[in-house]
Order: sequence, then structure tokens, then C-alpha cells
Amino acid sequence: NINPCVQIIIHLLSVISQNSAGQFFSSGHTNNWAVLVCTSRFWFNYRHVANTLSVYRSVKRLGIPDSHIVLMLADDMACNHRNPKPATVFSHKNMELNVYGDDVEVDYRGYEVTVENFLRVLTGRLPPSTPRSKRLLSDDRSNILIYLTGHGGNGFLKFQDSEEISNVELADAFEQMWQKRRYNELLFIIDTCQGASMYERFYSPNIMALASSQVGEDSLSHQPDLAIGVHLMDRYTFYMLEFLEDIHPASKTNMNDLFKVCPKSQCVSTPGHRTDLFLRDPGSVLITDFFGSVRKVELTMDAINLTDPINPVNGEEQKEVYSYADQLPVSEIIHQKPKQKDWHPPDGFILGLWTLILLVFFKTYGIKHLKHIF
Amino acid sequence: MAAPLTLLLIVAVTIRAALFRSSLAELIAERVEVVSPITAWKRVVEGLALLDLGVSPYSGDVFHETPLIIYMFHFLVDYAEITFMTFVFGALCVCICFFFIYLSLMPFQFRKQKFALEADRYPMDSLELIRSPKEMYYVPLKVAMFYLLNPFTILSCVAKSTCGLNNAVLALFFLSTIKGNVLLSAIFLCLATYQSIYPITLCAPAMLYFMQRQYIPVNFHRVSFWWFIVQYLFMYLGSLFVLICLSFFLLGSWDYLPSVYGFILSVPDLTPNIGLFWYFFAEMFEHFRLFFLCVFQINVFFYTIPLSIKLKEHPVFLIFMQLAVISIFKSYPTVGDVALYLAFLPVWSHLHRFLRNIFLVSCVLLACSALFPVLWHLWIYAGSANSNFYYAITLLFNVAQILLVSDYFYAFLRREHHLTNGLYLKRKDGSEATLILK
Repeated sequence: NINPCVQIIIHLLSVISQNSAGQFFSSGHTNNWAVLVCTSRFWFNYRHVANTLSVYRSVKRLGIPDSHIVLMLADDMACNHRNPKPATVFSHKNMELNVYGDDVEVDYRGYEVTVENFLRVLTGRLPPSTPRSKRLLSDDRSNILIYLTGHGGNGFLKFQDSEEISNVELADAFEQMWQKRRYNELLFIIDTCQGASMYERFYSPNIMALASSQVGEDSLSHQPDLAIGVHLMDRYTFYMLEFLEDIHPASKTNMNDLFKVCPKSQCVSTPGHRTDLFLRDPGSVLITDFFGSVRKVELTMDAINLTDPINPVNGEEQKEVYSYADQLPVSEIIHQKPKQKDWHPPDGFILGLWTLILLVFFKTYGIKHLKHIF
Repeated sequence: MAAPLTLLLIVAVTIRAALFRSSLAELIAERVEVVSPITAWKRVVEGLALLDLGVSPYSGDVFHETPLIIYMFHFLVDYAEITFMTFVFGALCVCICFFFIYLSLMPFQFRKQKFALEADRYPMDSLELIRSPKEMYYVPLKVAMFYLLNPFTILSCVAKSTCGLNNAVLALFFLSTIKGNVLLSAIFLCLATYQSIYPITLCAPAMLYFMQRQYIPVNFHRVSFWWFIVQYLFMYLGSLFVLICLSFFLLGSWDYLPSVYGFILSVPDLTPNIGLFWYFFAEMFEHFRLFFLCVFQINVFFYTIPLSIKLKEHPVFLIFMQLAVISIFKSYPTVGDVALYLAFLPVWSHLHRFLRNIFLVSCVLLACSALFPVLWHLWIYAGSANSNFYYAITLLFNVAQILLVSDYFYAFLRREHHLTNGLYLKRKDGSEATLILK
């Protein structure tokens, strides 16, 4: 005979756990991936490599393993001949923070960083011989962070000083990813000049985008280091790195705080963001949903009744649910494809042609050959 | 002469078969010097595949062959061996035609020479210029050998370029002209023109040859001259008309006309080849494109009238010159076209004492042929050269060809001059004179 007070408490606890069970499953993703791309080469673009490596460092620190990170660096700054401190890439002057370390795994290096390879990584259309470390093996429950940095312009991003990717291509690549169920939610961050133009054309659902500058503005670099001789970081990524250094795997900081990183007073350019394609409210999206690989583990001693449907935490009206496109009706195709007919020339043509040939033959060689045939 | 010819045929077939079996066949089939957008086998396969899918093969910019090629290959396209054998057969056909051409040409020319000798038209000291049957005995075999064992023809055959079929039709035309059959000559010329427009210029030498053979004087005021021209043109244009209408009935539509003839004349595809068009038109402003297109195309047809006037006594040499001009100035030349007129060179071997640039020309031709793949690789694959390098070699190749042709022309005219005026020329006061080509 259980005490009714205890019964009420247990009942309350179970209700609470059911609600937190709702919160437990509200974000919808089960794994995290990151695609970090630096698109420029040459020593004076040191800061782009440092940008990418600092995001890599933060992402790895917050839990995403190397097997889930695709790191593309277009040039090797750590072992560049002009690096006075070889095997290091610093992100802060006075060499405070070495973002290179000894456990950096670069997946695409040097000339392998091309538009084609980038799009192939995103869409998954790689040749069968590509190793796993070079593939983005995401599924429909993956949250992917995509970070691009380099030199860009209005509607394009320059790769390797020889080719460019346009915002339309990028939007189409993301749509391909959506239709192939390759992501649950996507966070796109770009740190280039006129970066906002790159996310203007997105049209697939569940994408949130941030850029370091608006169209018509340049993203500026932070500070040069006189010993190394080049600018070490770009402003936006520098302040973002500072912001991320305060995040730990259990942080509850949300995206609205990330939007406030680097205001105009610090960045000179106006960072922009785009959330209209994103289903959830940005205030409910945790930073660690994208930057970390947080395994949600909650220890409980009670049994939770999961037969009831999980209610979302907000209790608001569900927005219109986006569904995936219909799969290709393979079974119909297999059984109903018409048999391919070979083309045959029309009979009139054959008749006409051979009559002419015979006529010419007999005209040239005489009718006397006729009796040899018949 | 049958035994050497058979041996030659066997050797040629063996070389082609050996190359075809090796892995070089695909490499060669993609070389731009050997195949052009008009003659590439890959495009034939593509066009026939489109046809099997129910789409007109002329839609899109893929297929530029005539409907008769569709008819000829639609059974064969699946069988690689048989198609290859058709091309080998085409090559053999050409060579056999050439063989018989020169076999029958020689008595004719000797007869002409004999008449001229008996009429005392040749001064005494030019007797050493006269050709004797003994030294000309092996010319047909040499012509066949020059064609079959020419690396250009071998490459063209292994690549299964339809240029081989074009050459076969042209050779058949030549053979029927030499044999004196007006109808067949008109029909084969019509077939050749139907494939690519340029052989229309060969009407003039064919007509001149027939007139010479039938002893019709080439005089604008004679009725017989115009009457023969009308007959020939009637046969030619009639068969052309019949062929075009027949091609309409193959696919039931006229869209092969812009795809084939419009393509040849308006040169929309600027893939590099060994010709002169692509580089110019790659950087042409649209405003001037039509003008330069006309200029370049007229260049092919322009030499017919002057050359026919100058060479009206020698239509065979005129055919050679005309074929050379077509091969150099056509819109999409390939090495197969070059090989066609190069095969004729042994016929004029008696001109060797008057040729001035042979060493230069042969060196340049060999060097350019070797440099084509090198500079292509440097341009396309290594990225350390650009199109200017490749075009320079193309230009040089064409200049060498033009030099070759003009050299033979000069030597031919000079020999004719010496035949009538004596070999060692003397001025009025007895001192030795030199001959200058003005």
C-alpha cells in the first residue's frame, strides 16, 4: 500500500519527465557533422586558414570527432616556407593560441580543394574509391555545420584563385542534400566579403545562415602579427572564436546570442543572418546543436511511459510540416518500362535507294548482266 | 603487279588490325587531329543511340553526318569488328581505285606524249624530260603504298573516322572519271558533295577531263563545249536532287539540312583541329562573324576558276591541286583529308628536279605532326601552354602544305615550259638564261 503523497509525487515526476522527454527529443537530430572549408591559398591568406582551424578547434573541443569533420584547407600554412614558426598557425597576436596543434586531420588539402570536390562532398556523389574520411556520411537526422571562408564577392566565392562557386550552385547543392535526406538542420556560416549574398538564394527548408558582412561591404581582418608578418584572423571569426571559447558541452546558449557576435563597432561590417527557412525558433536552438556533438544522456530511475505522443515543449501550433519529396517510383519503372525498339529505316527509303543503285549499275554495265542474275 | 599489290594489302590490313586491337584505338579515336565533329565515330554512335530512343539524331549539336551514313551504319553500330572492317574496306577501296586509276592513266598519257613527239612539238634537248613506261611502271603500286602505309591514313582508319568513307567516294569518283564513264563520275561526285560540300569544285576538272577525252575543244564559243557542260551538270544536279529527297524520306524531316550543311558552312563548333577556322572564330566579334565566314569559305572555292584556266590541258593535275586546296581550307580538316592528296605525290615524281622546297616542306610536316600531340598535351593537360601554341603548329602545318602544293604547281608549270621551249634556255645572244616565276 503506497502512501498517496508518494503516489502523487511519482505521478508528478512522471509528468515532468514526460515533458522533459518532450524537450529531450525536441531538437530532432542524432548526430553532428561539420564541413569546414578554407578556399584561398598563398601566404598572405594565412588568416583564412587560421579562421577555419579555429572553428575546427572549437568544434572538436565541443565533441564532434574527426570522423565527422570534413576539413578542407586550400594551402598549408603551418609548413609554409615563410612561416617563421613552423608547424603552428596562430589565431591571436603575440602567439597566444596555436590552432594547429598535433591532432589536426586535414581531409582535403591543397589543390584538392575545388568547387567540384566541395559540391561532391555535400551531395555525396563521390567516386567509389573515396575513403571515408573524405565523405560527408550524414543522414536525415544529422545537423550539419558548414563554414566557408575566403575571398568572395556579390554572389560568388572564389576557390584557389582560379574558379568560383556561385550562390545559385550552393543553393542547388543544399536542395539536393534536402531531397536526398542528407541533413536534418543546416547551419551555414560564411566569412568573406559580401558574404550575405551567398545565402540569399537558399530555398531548402531547415537552413539557418550567418554571414560576416552584407552585400556591398567588405569583411575586414583583425590584426597583423609583426613577427609572422600577415594578418592572423578575420574579425568576425575572431569574435566568434572568443564567443565559442565560453561555450562548453552543457551550455544552454542559443542562436540569438550567436547573431549578436561582432556588432558593427567591433567588426566594421554588418553581420547578417537568415532564419526564415528554419522551422524552429532560433531562441530554442542551442549552440551545441551545431557546434558540438552533445549526446543527450539523462539518468533516470523511473520508467517513462512513452506510449503517449511526445508533445513539443512550446505547445504552439506546429508550423507546416515539410515532407520529403516522393521517392522515385522504382517498382513502376521496372515493371512497366516499354521495351526499347531499334529504329529501322522506312521501307520506301530502302526500296528507292536500291532501285536507284540497280538502275545505275545496269546503265553503266549494260542490260546483258541481267540474265546472270535471274 | 598483282602479287606486290596483294602483299601490300595484307600488310596494311595487318597493321590496322593490330592497332585496332591494342589499347591505342581509344586514344587515337579521341585525338582532335584525326577526328573532327563531322567525322567522329563517337558521334555516329551517339546519333544512332538517339535514334533508337525515338529522338531525331540531329537534335542538339551531336550528329552531323548525312542520312545515308545513318542507313549504312544502323545495323553495324553494335558490332565493333564489322564496323572497323568497313573502314578498312573503305581504305582498301581507295587504294585499289588509285591503283587502277594510274594503271589506266598511264597509257593515256603515253599516247599523248607519243603524239606530241611525232608532231615534233618537243625541242631536242628536252627529251630527257619525257617519261618512259619503264620508269613509270611502279607508279600505281607506289600510289597505293603511299596511301595505305601513310601513318595519317592508318590513324584515321583505326579511329573509325568517316573521313575514310569520304575518301573512298572521292577515289571512286576519280576512277570513274578516268575510265570515261560520265554518269558514274557525276553520281560519285554527287555523293561526295552530299557528304561534305567542298567536292563541288571537282566538277571543273572532271568536265575538263571528259572534254579532253572526247576531243571537245575548250572554247567558250563552241556549242559542243556548253552542251557537254549542260549534260554533266544535269546529271550531277539531278542525282544531287534525288539524293536529298531520298534523305528526306529516311527520317521524314528536313532537319538534316541545317545540321549537316549548315554546320559545315557556318562553323559553329570551334573545337581545335588542324584547320584554320577555329582560332579565328573563337575570338571573332559577332558583328563580323558572317563577313569572315564568307571570306573563309569563299577561299576554298576561289581557286577553282584560275586553276582551271591555267591547267585546262592537264585536268589530272588540276584534280590533285583542287583536292589539296579542299583539304587545306575546308572548315574541319583532318589528317585523313591530307593523306588523300599526299598519296598522289609519286605520280609527279618526275618533277623532282624542279622542286625547290621539298626538304623544308618534309621537315616541317614531320615536325608539326610530331608536335601536335605534344602541344595539345601541354595546353590541355599540363596547362603550361595555351591555344596560341597549338594554333602556331596548325598554321605551320598548313603553310607547309600550301608550300608543298605550290611547289608542285611551280615544278609542273616549269616542266611544261621546258617541254615546249627546251631544257637549257638561251637568250638571244646565246648566254644562259634563268627562269623566274612571276
